[in-house]
Amino acid sequence: MSDSIVEFSNVTKQFGNHRAVDNVSFVVRKGRIFGLLGPNGAGKTTSIRMLTYILKPDSGSIKMFGQPVGPETQKKLGYLPEERGLYKKMKVGEQLIYLCRLKGFTREKARSQIRYWLERFGALDWIGQEVGELSKGMQQKVQFIATIAHDPDCLIFDEPFSGLDPINSEMLKEAILELRDAGKTIFFATHRMEQVEQLCDDIALFNKGKLILQGDLTEIRSSYGLNSIRLRFSGDSRFLNNMENIRINNRSTNYAELRLLEGANDQLILREAQRHVRIHAFELVQPSIQEIFIDSVSK
Amino acid sequence: MTFDLIQKEKLFLIIQREYLTRLRSKIFIVTTILAPVVMILLLILPTLIQTMTAERERQFLVYDETGEVGSGLVANDSIYYKLTSDAPDELRTRLINGSIEGYLVIPHEILDGQGKVTFFHGGTAGMTVTSRIRSDVQQIVRDIRLDRLDTPAEVRAILADRVQTENLTITAEGTEEADSGFFMLLGFVMGFIIYGAMFGYGAVIMRSVMEEKTSRIVEVIASSVRPFELLMGKVTGVALLGLTQFAIWAAAGAGIMMIAGPIMALFMESGAIHEQPVGASTDAAAFSIPSIDPFIWISFVLFFLLGFLIYSSLFAAVGSAVDQESDSQQLQMPIIMLIIIPLMFLFPVSDDPASTLSVVLSMVPFFAPILMPVRMAVIQIPFWQLWGTVLLMILTFVVLIWMSARIYRTGILMYGKKAGFRELWKWVREN
Repeated sequence: MSDSIVEFSNVTKQFGNHRAVDNVSFVVRKGRIFGLLGPNGAGKTTSIRMLTYILKPDSGSIKMFGQPVGPETQKKLGYLPEERGLYKKMKVGEQLIYLCRLKGFTREKARSQIRYWLERFGALDWIGQEVGELSKGMQQKVQFIATIAHDPDCLIFDEPFSGLDPINSEMLKEAILELRDAGKTIFFATHRMEQVEQLCDDIALFNKGKLILQGDLTEIRSSYGLNSIRLRFSGDSRFLNNMENIRINNRSTNYAELRLLEGANDQLILREAQRHVRIHAFELVQPSIQEIFIDSVSK
Repeated sequence: MTFDLIQKEKLFLIIQREYLTRLRSKIFIVTTILAPVVMILLLILPTLIQTMTAERERQFLVYDETGEVGSGLVANDSIYYKLTSDAPDELRTRLINGSIEGYLVIPHEILDGQGKVTFFHGGTAGMTVTSRIRSDVQQIVRDIRLDRLDTPAEVRAILADRVQTENLTITAEGTEEADSGFFMLLGFVMGFIIYGAMFGYGAVIMRSVMEEKTSRIVEVIASSVRPFELLMGKVTGVALLGLTQFAIWAAAGAGIMMIAGPIMALFMESGAIHEQPVGASTDAAAFSIPSIDPFIWISFVLFFLLGFLIYSSLFAAVGSAVDQESDSQQLQMPIIMLIIIPLMFLFPVSDDPASTLSVVLSMVPFFAPILMPVRMAVIQIPFWQLWGTVLLMILTFVVLIWMSARIYRTGILMYGKKAGFRELWKWVREN
């Protein structure tokens, strides 16, 4: 593919006896948000560390913009690690300029970029403050600026929403979508499936080091067809426990997602539900990512 | 796996950050000022304490069977010694209940060269007191015995005479210089400074690695530069910081010397103007230090640098392997031992810098930073020993930094795991 930005080919990485990443191949295209999904320890962070050239694969190859990853590709890459961190005793401006220059920017270019972004986030006043003096939310913003200030073509966000309050989460989501629209390629790693549905164009599902499913999110979901039910109700939902041939996901006091398995009859379920609870909504839908993940793992 | 070629601009950026942020830190300013003050205090404090404590008045009772020795002691110092006619048993009781500090029993046969003077005291008498009493008694007993034999004055003069000896060092240029023990002191001071520097700057490196790891900034940095570049940048930056600190101290020291000389001369002149107007300037001149071969300074810096490089690569490895300072104790132990061992040999080596023991110890790369300057200050080190040691140290550094880099790049990404020596060795082997 001509517009492929990142290419993993048969990549394997082992730590002692543990295979963190096992023969993984995928391609990421330009201008897409690519979701790396899977539970903790599935191999997402190890894959990212190889892409950022922090770790080297034991076998296989990783290419970015057609060339093997290395110091050159590092410059075109912005990385927001899952565990955030900055130099606590360094001033915000100094620190951002330093990190930007490590990516190959000149001092002048770095300075103007950083002023632009600080201003944009309403944070220009912090420029002379030590990072350790800032609140956690402010530090998150500074770290986000550090990730994007050198205008990288490829961005990697590892669990970007963890620890953010709703307002900052929303701001970050908007910023990510804006970067995508500006033609950046974005990696987005998470174990929180519901975030994926709102942001990702493509996904790669990891489990125990293996890539178990990948592709365009919409295509994947439609390939499953309308095999799930979204049920909103009030009343006693214990009748669901006795239903056969279904799997229940995301169940709460007045909501449930039901996956129809072999031999299940949606009309039968509707009738049964009517007998037990007051129905607010009953909808046949495509499966959720969580359901797709569970389904893929069990295969 | 080989190291990638170092990217010079990035390395320079890291060095710059490591150097400048520390140079401006409070701790650097404080240690730069305090370290010499503490060092000077350590040098003069013992003498100061001694002169302050020696003032205490003490008195010892003298039970004298000779009728001569005791009165001689009292004639010498009537406060220190006091004659008593109480029997030794009585004195013993008084000593036990604490009403006297101590007493001497001088038997009559002492004047015949037999028996012995006994000094009774509570607890430990102390070295100063014991040696004073011994020499006082010795002198009086000797004089009385000489008197008895009607010894002529010439013989007494011979007995009292001391033979003069003088140490002269022949320098490489063939000139003679008085060996004042100054160079031995210089060696000691150099050894101690390097010892302190290994510990101090080693700890700086370790903490800095640990800080980057625990604050998690290291993963961001590692996505821009190779861990080896970060490690080398850090080590170089801190080495430059150390050199800067030395330069400041040297400049301050030279400044003080330059000012202190004339001031000292001024004081002596005004104080001694009536008695010896000519001698004043020579006294002031005696205050300036003997000329030190510039080569000694250069070697001092060289050995500091090499020692710093060796130990900082070890400290960096430890720092990368732990999450918090308290976990580092166990891993630091062997490094601390390596720094302390040469300190124990500081005296024997400076006492006989050419002995086989001294040569061998000072050539061990881990001990050389402290012991070689000590030897070098006192004697001329043979060419092969000096440069052989430098070569050995460079090789040691290369091996250690290679191992350390492997531990480092695994360690900085490893959290929540307390690694032992076995684990570290695995990182070296498997990476």
